[in-house]
Amino acid sequence: MKRFKVFFDIEKEERWLNEQLQQGYRCTAISGLGIYTFEKTDQRYVMRLDYQGRLNKGEFDDYKAMYEDFGWEYLSGPALSGIRYWQKEAAEGRDVIFSDRQSKGSYYKRLMNYSLWLGMLCLFYSLMLYQDSNLYHEGLWSMEGALFWKAFLFETPFVLLKLLPALMAVLLGISYYQAYRKYSLFKV
Amino acid sequence: MKHPLLPLSETMHYILLALREPLHGYAVMQKIEEMSEGSVVLAAGTLYGAIENLNKHGWIEPVGKSGRRKIYGITAEGLNVLKVEQERLLHILSLYKGSDSDEKV
Repeated sequence: MKRFKVFFDIEKEERWLNEQLQQGYRCTAISGLGIYTFEKTDQRYVMRLDYQGRLNKGEFDDYKAMYEDFGWEYLSGPALSGIRYWQKEAAEGRDVIFSDRQSKGSYYKRLMNYSLWLGMLCLFYSLMLYQDSNLYHEGLWSMEGALFWKAFLFETPFVLLKLLPALMAVLLGISYYQAYRKYSLFKV
Repeated sequence: MKHPLLPLSETMHYILLALREPLHGYAVMQKIEEMSEGSVVLAAGTLYGAIENLNKHGWIEPVGKSGRRKIYGITAEGLNVLKVEQERLLHILSLYKGSDSDEKV
């Protein structure tokens, strides 16, 4: 079974994935384009999403070895997202990757940093993009009647595309705030 | 200013106590489950983060490898932290005793 879905919120993604697993599936692949592949299974599986910033080869090996010892299977996700996908057979009381407040708090802190940096990048890129060009062509506003509307409708998709980095910056700002609210619940 | 890891959290405390004998990560979790009579079961991400953190502060260090698993042991500095924590906890325990005897009277 293949499903197409795009997420902007790591916790929503985790919830959705576990909903699929509860219907008797296990996840076998996740592609960068938002395609999740599942296969039928008789076992109950559970998935947990972790976010770790850049890990060098040695750090990644240690990280992976530790999770694998606990029975977690690594599913490689989109290379740049930094999200680490872990799946294992469900076992009562052993289905979480964080078991105390401090580590849960640090997880939200890592998410905050991620949203902050990516958000700043989008903001910076938007500013560069909009600085030296208007959203619509200058000539558009002097057109009249049907011609204006045709040109307007033609240009609008491109304008939306141009606005994408700004939209991303806003969404990342929101996810920064959400991660911050969770973080403040857990920090000691 | 106080050290960011002090007073020790339950997780950190158990890990330092467990690593008085060198162990790899998963064995640390098993030993802690045993030491705590099943009440503290560390999850993978929590143990990974705690070991990274303790290692960064020089309270534990890698002392070898068994296959791809790193084996960690407590350092002299780590033992010193345990001593300071023990004194702090003994003091708190002595306060418990104080209130006990008050109740009896």
